[in-house]
Amino acid sequence: MGDNVIVLEGVSKVYSQGKIDVKAVNNLSLEIERGEFAVLCGPSGSGKTTVLNMIGGLDIPTSGRIILEWKELSTLSGTELAKIRRDRIGFVFQAYNLVPVLTAFENAEFVLALQNVPKDERREKVMAILEEVGLKGLEDRRPDELSGGQQQRVAIARAIVSEPAIILADEPTANVDSVTAESLITLMEELNKEKGITFLFSTHDQRVISRGRRIIRLRDGALDLE
Amino acid sequence: MKILPFAIRNVGRNRQRTLITIAAMGLAGFIMVFYASLLNGFSQKIAENSVGMSIGDIQIHAEGYRNDPDLYKMVTNHSDIISQLSSRGLAASPRLYGFGLAATGSTSAGVRISGIDPVLEATVTNLHQNILEGSWLDPSDPKGVVIGKKLARTLNVDVGGEVVMVSQASDGSMANDIYRVRGILKSVGEGIDRGGFYLLNDEFRSLMVLPEGVHEIAIKRLNESSELFESTAIVSRLAPGFEVLDWHRLQPIVSRMLETNEAGTLIMLIITYSAVSMVILNAMLMSVFERIHEFGIMRAVGVTPMQVFSLIFTEAMLQALAASLLTLAVGVPVSLYYQTHGIDMSSLAGDLSFGGVAINPIWYCKVTPSSILIPIIFLFLITALAVLYPAIKAAVIQPVKAIYHR
Ligand SMILES: Nc1ncnc2c1ncn2[C@@H]1O[C@H](COP(=O)(O)OP(=O)(O)OP(=O)(O)O)[C@@H](O)[C@H]1O
Ligand SMILES: [Mg+2]
Repeated sequence: MGDNVIVLEGVSKVYSQGKIDVKAVNNLSLEIERGEFAVLCGPSGSGKTTVLNMIGGLDIPTSGRIILEWKELSTLSGTELAKIRRDRIGFVFQAYNLVPVLTAFENAEFVLALQNVPKDERREKVMAILEEVGLKGLEDRRPDELSGGQQQRVAIARAIVSEPAIILADEPTANVDSVTAESLITLMEELNKEKGITFLFSTHDQRVISRGRRIIRLRDGALDLE
Repeated sequence: MKILPFAIRNVGRNRQRTLITIAAMGLAGFIMVFYASLLNGFSQKIAENSVGMSIGDIQIHAEGYRNDPDLYKMVTNHSDIISQLSSRGLAASPRLYGFGLAATGSTSAGVRISGIDPVLEATVTNLHQNILEGSWLDPSDPKGVVIGKKLARTLNVDVGGEVVMVSQASDGSMANDIYRVRGILKSVGEGIDRGGFYLLNDEFRSLMVLPEGVHEIAIKRLNESSELFESTAIVSRLAPGFEVLDWHRLQPIVSRMLETNEAGTLIMLIITYSAVSMVILNAMLMSVFERIHEFGIMRAVGVTPMQVFSLIFTEAMLQALAASLLTLAVGVPVSLYYQTHGIDMSSLAGDLSFGGVAINPIWYCKVTPSSILIPIIFLFLITALAVLYPAIKAAVIQPVKAIYHR
C-alpha cells in the first residue's frame, strides 16, 4: 500500500426497501492516494452519494472494509467516528451546507471551534482561508445573504480550514450555474495543488468531469471499466 | 463548540414561535404563583382565625373535659404551670367556661360564658384586636363583658346595654348577675359570633362559685419557628396527668383542610403545567424537526450526538429562563398587590365559614418563597421533560438520514 488516504475493499451496500433489496454499491474496491484530485461520476443512482457517505463514516457498508489512514471505520464507535469526521474529513454537500444562524466567518470557523482551537489562531486561519476562497469582506454575512456559489465557497473553506486528510464533495457544483461551477472547480484545483489537499468529488456535469485528474466511473454500484 | 451563544441565536431565530412559547410558559408560571400565593393567604387566614382567635397552638385540659365539659373537670395547679411555661418561651392564658342564658328586656340566648385574664389572653390570641365596637375587657371595669357579633344582634343590644346572666353555679345554687356590654367582637367564627360571652376571670369565679382551678390553658409559642411537636412535648412534661393537644388535634377539620390546600396547589400545578407542556413540546418538536438537515450537516462535520442534545436542551432552558423572569416580573408584583389589597370574593362565596371558622370574603395573597420557587422550579422541570424527546430524537438520528431529510 502506498500513501493511501482511503482504501475500499469489497465494499457493498444493500438498502432493503420492503421485500426488494437495492444494491446501491456492489463489491467495490478502490484506493485514493494522498494528493489526488479524483472525480466520481456515473449515471443517477449509480451509487456516488452512497460511496462518499460511507467513506465519510456517515453511512455503514453492508459488507467489506473501508480504511481511512490505517483505521478501519467499522471498528470505530460513534464518538470516534465523529472525531474522525471533525479532524480528518472535510465534507461539502450539494447545497444547504451552512448553519443559517451563523455568519460566513462563524460557519468557516465551525470545525476549528469544535476542535477547541484558540480564538486568535482560529481567527487568523479563517480570515486567510476566506480570502483564499474569494470571500474577503463577506465574513459577517449570513448564508441567506450569500449567493449559492458563495455559500459553497464557505462550505469549502470550512472543509479545508482544519487541514483534513481528504475532502469529500457530493455534487458541490450541482446547484450553481456553469460559470460558478467552473470557478468552484478551479478553486478546488488550486487548493489541491498549493496545499496538497486530497479531493474526491462527485458530479454529473461533463465539463466538471473533464477537470478531474483521475476519473472514477461507477455503474450500478461498481466500477465501470469499459 | 460554545453551546450557549449558539443556542441563544437559535432561540432568536423564529422570534414569533419563541415569544409565544415563552408567553405560554410565563402565563402558566404567573397563574401558579398567584394561585399558590392566594391559597397560601387563604390557609394562613383560616389558621389565624382558628389558632389566633380562640385555639392557640396547644391546650391543656383535664382528661375528659373536651368530651364532656362539666364545671368540675379542672386543671388545678394552673398558676404553677403557667409560670413554668412562660419561662420556656410559651405564652399561656387560663380560661374558665360555663354555659348560661343571657337575657335583655324581651329576648334571651344560650351562651358560652368565658372567664379570661385579658392581659394573658392577649398574649395568646388576637381577640382583643378584633373589637367591632366598644373596647376589650378591662380589670378596672369588672361588670363589663365582650360578646359576639351575632349574639349582640340576637339580644338586640349595643355597647353600654345591660345583659342579665342566669346559670347554675358549681354549688348548685342559682347564679345570676347583671353585666354591661363593653365591647362587641367582629365576626371571627361561628361559635364565638353566636355564643361568645367574655368576662373577667374573677367575675366568672364569683358568678359560678368556683374559687379554684381553670378549665383550659391555651398556649402560644412566642418563637414561631420552633417546632410545634417539640413545644407540645415540653407542655406535656410540665402538665402531667392532663390532656395536652396541639391545634392540629384540636381542630382536625381545619388541619385537614390546610393539607388539602397544599394538595390543591399541586393538582392545579399539574393541570396547568400539563397543558403548557403540550405547547412546549409542540414548539420544541417543530423547532427541532425543521432543523434536522442542519443537525445532519453538523454531525457530518464532527458534532457529537451529545452536543446536539446539549444544544437543543440549552435552547429550551433559555426559554424556561425567560419565562421564569416573566413569571417573576408579573406574578410577584400582582400577588404582592393582592397581598395588601385583597380580592373581594363575597359575590362568589358570600358569607363562608369552615369548621366553625369564619372565612373573610376578602381573600389576601400571601407571597412566600415557596409560592414563587415551586412554580418556577416546576417550569424548568416540565420544560426539561418536554424537550427530552425531541432532543434525544435529534441527537440519535443517523447523520445520512438527517442530511437527506427534506
Ligand atoms: N436510503 C435509501 N434507501 C433505499 N435506497 C436508497 C437509499 N439511498 C440510496 N438508495 C438507492 O441506492 C442507489 C444509489 O443511490 P445513490 O444516491 O448513491 O446514487 P447517486 O449516484 O448519488 O445518484 P444521483 O446522481 O442521483 O445523486 C439508488 O438506486 C438509490 O435509489
Ligand atoms: Mg447522489
